[in-house]
Amino acid sequence: MTRPLARSLIIAVLAVTAAGAVAGSALAHVPDPVLGKPFTQDQVLKFGWRSGAEPIASVAAAIKAAAADATTTRGSRAATFAYAAAGPNLIGYGSGATCGVNGLACFSRDAPNSFTMWLREQGHVFDWGTLKWCQTYKVAPTGCYDVETISLDEFGHVEGLDHHVNLIDGSDYEDAVVQTYSRTKPKVGWNAHGFGVCDVATLQLVYDVTSWAAKYSTCNLLDTTLTVLAPPTAAYGTATTVTATLKVSPAASYQRLGGNPLSGRIVTLQARAPGTTTWLSTGAMASGAASGTYVKTLTLTADIQLRAVYLAPTDEGLTGSTSTSATIDVGACRVGLCPQSTGGSLQ
Amino acid sequence: MVRSAWIRRTGPGIVALLAVGMLTSTTFGARDHPWAPGACAGPAGPAAADDPWFRIDPILGATGGLAGQRLVVGRTSGTGRRALELAPESFAAGPFGSVVLAGTDDGTGSQLLALDVVAGCATTVDTSTDIIRRATLTPDRRGVVEFRLDRRTRADLGIWVKPLGPDGAATRAVAPIELDERFGRTWSTELVWSQDGADLAIQSCGESACRTRVFTPGTGRLRLVDGLDIGPAIGLADGRLVAYLACRGLPCPVVAVTIEDGTRCILAAEAGPAVVVATEHGPRLIHERVGSPGRRLGSVALDGGADQDLGPMPTGLGLAVDGVRSGSAATTPPGWVLLAPDGRLPLETDGVAPVLRHVLDGRVSTLDPALAIEEVTR
Repeated sequence: MTRPLARSLIIAVLAVTAAGAVAGSALAHVPDPVLGKPFTQDQVLKFGWRSGAEPIASVAAAIKAAAADATTTRGSRAATFAYAAAGPNLIGYGSGATCGVNGLACFSRDAPNSFTMWLREQGHVFDWGTLKWCQTYKVAPTGCYDVETISLDEFGHVEGLDHHVNLIDGSDYEDAVVQTYSRTKPKVGWNAHGFGVCDVATLQLVYDVTSWAAKYSTCNLLDTTLTVLAPPTAAYGTATTVTATLKVSPAASYQRLGGNPLSGRIVTLQARAPGTTTWLSTGAMASGAASGTYVKTLTLTADIQLRAVYLAPTDEGLTGSTSTSATIDVGACRVGLCPQSTGGSLQ
Repeated sequence: MVRSAWIRRTGPGIVALLAVGMLTSTTFGARDHPWAPGACAGPAGPAAADDPWFRIDPILGATGGLAGQRLVVGRTSGTGRRALELAPESFAAGPFGSVVLAGTDDGTGSQLLALDVVAGCATTVDTSTDIIRRATLTPDRRGVVEFRLDRRTRADLGIWVKPLGPDGAATRAVAPIELDERFGRTWSTELVWSQDGADLAIQSCGESACRTRVFTPGTGRLRLVDGLDIGPAIGLADGRLVAYLACRGLPCPVVAVTIEDGTRCILAAEAGPAVVVATEHGPRLIHERVGSPGRRLGSVALDGGADQDLGPMPTGLGLAVDGVRSGSAATTPPGWVLLAPDGRLPLETDGVAPVLRHVLDGRVSTLDPALAIEEVTR
């Protein structure tokens, strides 16, 4: 490509690239550890109350709300939770055989078959004092535990999440609901009603994302692979379609996510004349027919090198990637009005 | 243990505790009427083939809050079933021969009762203005070991020992455990005797992980096991602490930690309920194995060897663990484990009956009608 450089376009491209680099370096924390075997993708886990240990109304409502939280914020194809009067997975309130001696609540899981859950009763006495569930008060007192948050933590365990490993200063506490240490009102994170990004990151690894266009948790940072496919030759002045394919890089550590097509992203096509060093953007590519593909049709009048570029996004945990370049040899002008110059053009 | 004097001093206290029974129960036990035990006239009788059992459950008030605790005791012959309603901050321990220990605190003072299930009487073995949070009898049954808290601050006051008898005064045997931010505030402190009775594990658990001090009363020696990944204790035997890792649920790995040097051995990677059982071949971990094609019972020596599959768990039954963890316990013969609905002794007879299972040869012995409900003592 020998047309005058679009200086302003290059500056814009560089600026976006720099922004992506900064965002990527902030992703220092890691997904929750995995706990045992998973349930099946999108498995519906119906739960009911344990006979003789039914939760009181305020607690029951909060547990149901937590189930909805888990379902709507899973960001993945993790199991969902739904209350049913005769639900086979029993949740109890009060003393239970599985809770042991410490903790606010507990669970047992036998994936992919079943789970149980227990919450301590309001007023349960620990060494440190008396348990207060916030939902049992008209005005939640300082020092109470939020039933919905704690239940969501337990649902997270049932899904297969182990306790999040926080940064030393605990500044990332809100990145996960599944925590070793529960917080009381009004400490930061005491009433989280949705999975945190590091919970979702693990759920995605274990259960996969809901669609190829779905966002990847920013708690993870997955490498991407971008390839470009272009014909090696093209006739002068004819439309030539270039196809790019964007995927999550295949890696065993990416579990279900490795190799996933990435649709709905912004992939740009860059071009330059062979023998030159500066790439110019030809603009964003349109979504292709196949998942994770992007296309752009060019009318070429000179040899050209092309590459696709995916800039690291700021709102999901993916790295940017650039394809290797492809060269298209464009034949001589044989019909119609040919240019006087020997340079190529991109139309 | 003085069995005649206490009733004058503590009898009214028991009556007061029984008043808690006026509160509505949303759990169970409606068949069990409050029991007002008389004073014991003589030494505790042998348990033998008529072993006692207990189960303690919360009593929930009309608003769903803890209003008290219902302690039901009985004998495996099916006789002597009685219920005692206690204050919210209460516990039960044992059985120790024919005795079940019950501690209860009314907000101003703690009272520790020895309930002789066979004789059908009770003895107050200690009272304190401190909170007696947990207690156990010494292996020789001559003294009681208590874990106490400061009433105002709920600070750890350490472990106290009191000889059973009219003149015995409680003295502190082990200092409070030091605060350690890594474990957070202490949620529970439990006492577990080693199988040979020589050592006492004092386990202080945070919300997740536990610190265990192994106290040897004979020498006063105290050793600490404080891995941040160690959870609640399952048992203490052969110089090893057997404990879950710091999970919040099950299944969970079980490890044996050698007290002397802290070396570890993973006994089970994914254990459900688990107990340490004395057998003629030494102590073994017995645990539920979760997974396809269903729950099974497993057995492994505490050095990790001699792993054995004991077959599938009977439908509707779970491995019954100790009273500290499950709130229910019965004396089982050496080499046997108890399988019960939800892993707890049932208070109703209309469900699956509990069974005893031998951990070496797989023999099964039904407890039904061992726990059958007799006419409730009024």
